[in-house]
Amino acid sequence: MRSKLIFALLTGAAASTYAQGFGQGFGQFQGQAPGQIPGQPALAHRIDLPGDAPVALVADEWGGSGATIRGSAYQLDVRVSLSLRNASQRRIRGITMTVTAQEAAPGGKGSISIPSLDVAAGETFPVRGDLHLLRPIGGGSGPLVEVSLDGLLFDDLTFYGPDKLHSRRSMLVWEMEARRDRQYLRAVLEQSGHDGLQKEMLSSLAREADRPQYGVQAVRGRAANSDGEQDLKFAFLHFPNAPVEPMDGVARIAGNEARAPKVVVLNRSPRVVKYLEIGWIVKDQQGREFLAATVPADMRMPSHSSSQILDDIALRFDPRTTVQSMTGFVSQVEFTDGGIWIPSHAELDDPMLRHLVAPSPEEQRLVQIYRKRGVGAVIDELKKFQDKPIPAVQ
Amino acid sequence: MQHASEANLALYGTGDLAWWRCQWIGLHVARCAECRRRADEYRADRERLRSLADELPGVRWERLAAEMAANIRVGLAAGECVAPRAPKHTIPTGWRVAGAIGGFCALLVLAWWLNMPPAQTASLGRAMKAIVNGPQWQARRALGLDDALTLVQASAEGVELRENGGALTLSQRGVRPVSVTLNTQGSARARYVDSDTGQVTITSVYAQ
Repeated sequence: MRSKLIFALLTGAAASTYAQGFGQGFGQFQGQAPGQIPGQPALAHRIDLPGDAPVALVADEWGGSGATIRGSAYQLDVRVSLSLRNASQRRIRGITMTVTAQEAAPGGKGSISIPSLDVAAGETFPVRGDLHLLRPIGGGSGPLVEVSLDGLLFDDLTFYGPDKLHSRRSMLVWEMEARRDRQYLRAVLEQSGHDGLQKEMLSSLAREADRPQYGVQAVRGRAANSDGEQDLKFAFLHFPNAPVEPMDGVARIAGNEARAPKVVVLNRSPRVVKYLEIGWIVKDQQGREFLAATVPADMRMPSHSSSQILDDIALRFDPRTTVQSMTGFVSQVEFTDGGIWIPSHAELDDPMLRHLVAPSPEEQRLVQIYRKRGVGAVIDELKKFQDKPIPAVQ
Repeated sequence: MQHASEANLALYGTGDLAWWRCQWIGLHVARCAECRRRADEYRADRERLRSLADELPGVRWERLAAEMAANIRVGLAAGECVAPRAPKHTIPTGWRVAGAIGGFCALLVLAWWLNMPPAQTASLGRAMKAIVNGPQWQARRALGLDDALTLVQASAEGVELRENGGALTLSQRGVRPVSVTLNTQGSARARYVDSDTGQVTITSVYAQ
C-alpha cells in the first residue's frame, strides 16, 4: 500500500514537471510534437503565399516555439522566421504579412511589416516575428496560426496584395516619409557636410532617448468611469500647407479616461478626401505630455466642405494620469485619386511634435546605422537609394 | 356592330353633342346605315319642328332646344348614378402605409450607404449593440469582468490585443519597441529596430 502511494506521488510529480517545464513544443502542419502538453491539442501553422506572388518562400523556421501553462491559462509562444526571395523584376520597398490565430483571438489578427527595404530582383530578405497567444485551458481544437501576404510595395510605388489590412496606405506613407527624410538629410550633407549630418544623427538620438512613452489602453464601446464626465476641447496645431484643417474638437474626460473624440475638419484642397488621421496629444496635471493615440477616419469629404469625425472608443491611461488638456494635429490625408499628403519636415519642426512624435521608420533605421557603423555608413545609405520624385502620389 | 344610343343619335342629329363625342358618333354613323337613318330622322324632325315653330308666334325655339338638350344630359347623368358598379380593386390602407414606410426606409439605407463612411456605420452598429446589451454590460461591470471586452493596449513593452478571455501579442525576440502607437479604430503598432542591420519591423494587432 505504501509503495503504491509513493509510486503515485512520483508519477504525479513527473507529470507536473513535464507539463510546466519541459512540455514546450507543438506540432507543425497538424503534427503532434514531442513534449506537447498532455490534454492539449497540437498547434498547427500554415504559410499562405499566392501562386502569382512577387515573392517566393525560400525557407521558414519555427524553432524555439513552445507551450506552457500559466495558472489557468495556456500560453503559446510562436517564433516564426521566414526567408523570402524577390521573384519580380522590381525593387521591393516594403512588405506586410498578416498573422492570424483564430483560436486565441477570434476575429482579431496581427501583422508584421517591414518598411524601408531595398530588395533587388532575386535577392532574399528575412521576416521575423514572435507571436504570443494566451487562452484559458479547456477544450477546443488546436489553434491554427496562419501567416499570409497582405501587401508588397515596389520602388515605383505600385502595390501587390489583397490589402485586407490597408497596408498599401501605411506602406505608402512610410515610403513617402522615407523619401522626405532622405531628401532632408542629403540637403544637410550638401550644406553642412559630415559634421552637419553627424549633428542631425546625434540630435535624433537625443530626442529618441527623451521621448516619453506611457501605456494606453483602448476599450471599445464604453468607459469604466462615466461618473463626473466633462467635455474637454482640443487645441490644434495648424500646418499651413495641410489640405485638411481641424476646426473644432471635443472629448469626454473622466479621471484617467478620455472617450468619444469628436473633431470637425475642413477640406481646403481641391481634391476629395478619402481618409485622414489626427494625432491626439494629451497633457496631464503633472505636466507630462505624450502622444496618446491617432484618430483615423474613413470618409468622403468633397473639396471645400467640412465633416465631423466621431469615435466611440475609450482611452484609459496610467491611473496617476488626470487629463488636463489635449492637442490635435493632422498627421496624414489620403485622397480619392490615390494621392497621400504627409506633413513636411519643416511642419514637423514644431518643438512639441519633435519631442512627442516618433520619427519615421527610415530615420530610425539610419540612426541605428549611424550608432553601429558611423556617419560614413549613413552617407552610403543615402547614396544607395535613387529616390524619384513622386508627383502622382503627393 | 353595336349601335349608338338613342340619346347620342338625337343629340348628334341636332348638333348638340360635345366636340370629341360628335366626332366619335360621326365616325360610327358614317359606317352604320341603321344609325345614319335614325340620325337623319332626328335631323328631319328638327327641321319639321322649326318650320312648325315659325307658324306659332311667341315661342322661343332656340331656348327650348337648349333646355331639352340640358334635360337629356341630366337624365344621362342620373342613369349613371343608379347603374350597377363593379367594385374597384384597391390595396388595403395598412399595406399602403407599410409600403410607404418600406420605400422610405430603403431610401434612407441607400442614402446612408452612399454618404456615410464605413467607420461611422460600424460605430453606429456598436452603439446599437451597447443599447441592446446594456443591462448585461452593467452586470459584467459589477462583476469586474473587464477582460471580456475587446481591449487593445500599447505600452513600452509592446502591443497586445485582449478579446474573449484570450490575448494576442506580436513582438521581436524579446526586444523592447522603440515606439508604440495606438489607433482609435482598435489597432496598435510597435516599432522595432534590429541593432545590427537597422532593419525596422513594425508589428500590429487589430481588433475586429
